[in-house]
Amino acid sequence: MEITRKELKCDVLIAGGSIGGLVCAVELKEKRPDLDILLIEKQVTGYGGKANKGGGVLQYFQFDKITPMEFLEFHVNEIGGYLGDQDLMLKYVEMNHEMLDRLSAWGVKIPKQADGTYAVRPTGPFTAMISCELDLCLRMRRTAEKLGVRIMDKTALAELFAKDGKIIGAAAFSILDDGTFYSISAKKVVLATGGQNYRVGPMWSSGRGDGIAAAYHVGAEMRNAEFGNFSQLVRIRSHHEVVYGENNMYNALNEHVTKNFTNKRETDISSKAIREWYLNMKNGTGPIHLEYGDDPRGKILLGGKRPPAPPRYADKFRELNDIDGLIDTDIEVVPMLIGEQSCVKVDHGMQTTVEGLYAIGDTSYCGSGVCGAVPAPPARNRGSGILNAVFAGILGADDIAERTVEDVPAICPCELDKCFEALYAPLFREEGVSEKDVIYLVQKAMAPSDYSVYMEAGRMKEAVALVEEARALVPKMKAVDMHGVLCCREAEYMVLSAEMHYCASQERKESRGWFLREDYPEMDNENWLKWIILKEEDGKMTLSTEDVPIEKWPFQPAK
Amino acid sequence: MIFTNHRIEFDPEKCVGCQLCYKACFVDVIRWDAEAKKPVFKYVEDCEHCFYCQSVCAKEAIKVIPDHSSEHLLQHFERYA
Repeated sequence: MEITRKELKCDVLIAGGSIGGLVCAVELKEKRPDLDILLIEKQVTGYGGKANKGGGVLQYFQFDKITPMEFLEFHVNEIGGYLGDQDLMLKYVEMNHEMLDRLSAWGVKIPKQADGTYAVRPTGPFTAMISCELDLCLRMRRTAEKLGVRIMDKTALAELFAKDGKIIGAAAFSILDDGTFYSISAKKVVLATGGQNYRVGPMWSSGRGDGIAAAYHVGAEMRNAEFGNFSQLVRIRSHHEVVYGENNMYNALNEHVTKNFTNKRETDISSKAIREWYLNMKNGTGPIHLEYGDDPRGKILLGGKRPPAPPRYADKFRELNDIDGLIDTDIEVVPMLIGEQSCVKVDHGMQTTVEGLYAIGDTSYCGSGVCGAVPAPPARNRGSGILNAVFAGILGADDIAERTVEDVPAICPCELDKCFEALYAPLFREEGVSEKDVIYLVQKAMAPSDYSVYMEAGRMKEAVALVEEARALVPKMKAVDMHGVLCCREAEYMVLSAEMHYCASQERKESRGWFLREDYPEMDNENWLKWIILKEEDGKMTLSTEDVPIEKWPFQPAK
Repeated sequence: MIFTNHRIEFDPEKCVGCQLCYKACFVDVIRWDAEAKKPVFKYVEDCEHCFYCQSVCAKEAIKVIPDHSSEHLLQHFERYA
């Protein structure tokens, strides 16, 4: 197979064509029309990514009922476990209405009432939601193209290049049969490639860790990698998530086991619900099923349509994928790993620790520190997924817009050759293993809840051994075509993400927020008000910690 | 190794060649045959049954048939008596 090599040039390269990447492109083009923006997307811009496959919900804050500071206090105490960047969370809340207005102005259809106000649905004491149609990314793509953003679909990011600590470009490749290799000279690069989902959960597994791996290998720091273990209760047969199921968990003795971990209605799935499932299974009182009794929400939560909402792909998905049927009671559930590792460390302008390299949305949600001790959105903060990507996209674009975008030196040809050889190597191996073998080992290490969610030193050692087994197979992977090359890369990214998860999780010897350890069940504010930082140095993963500057923020743990 | 056993039924007679199913697939299961102007369901073993391709097909030419039993959540059921 003959691979064509092409050289491209742009001012700003954005990798990832879902909502974060598109918002960043549009915002930047509006602020700096002089900049040449190239957006590459592994699949098809406007269709790929996670934003158009979720519930289509946008978080809404009713500021006449709750102030941003009140929400921040609730979030810090109940969700973020004092590990969040309170300045950034406050800014996210304060920008809520502005973000919705901007999305509307960019062509996204956000339902409004007759009086012109948004069609808001209250969902709890602190938040409300707006349901929007899931064509939002397609509408953003149209706006981006009108503004002159160049878009290349079916083009995957392969590697980033830096010189003297500054980003200078990237390598990418066509996932189609020709497999064209691109070297892209870029003055700034924005990673909007999503997080890491390990391909376990159907539909929810769009994140394959491309941007995380690229940032890590170019020397960027990672933060909060241990919070990439999001799990949800799903139906045992269809593997379909059951939203709000954690409130209605019953064991084989018909005991309402939700009461064992909470005495209030949870706003979203909690890792304590996953722990409760595990404890019941281990103690022989499983399996866990859901019962809704007379709760009118039961039908809705078990898959019915949710009024009032426009016709949505999400409803269609549930209808098509629903093999358990719309039964009112007695449905067995099991936790399914979704992952959502999002650990690229960024500052308030979404710039990573490598100058000129930015990361937004699910690539840097935990890495930004905005959420604290929980995995990527919704992360116990319903409706925040899409809006966090919008928030980060705007902040990143504004930061770039304010800076001088200077010329960068050429990417060293020998580095490009090295990248080229490593990328296509699986095509030229006469013998080897399938990427599926590697992925299976990673999944075996990450998917069991007693390994990755309710953790313990001995069980983590078992998981790490599986990850090491997977790592040893990486240089042996073989591909027959470019689809295979892509899958081999993704398998490698999954190995790296699992390594980062267990490296950081073994170090954090406490329980905090979503993070639960059986051997360290208490939150330890004396020793662990710290962020764990991972970085690649001389090809090895190094770990350090950084104190959370809790004293400068409004809310601290009780002493 | 995991092989899923999902199936995709496709009726080429109904297909009008709009490419929407090809664009909708976020896991590269569907490729495009430019000559025939039809989708090729080439990597079905990687299908995540998101049903996006089926949902966007105005002509109802696609039917995704997931085999949930071939997917594994990999919990340690064997450890729980």
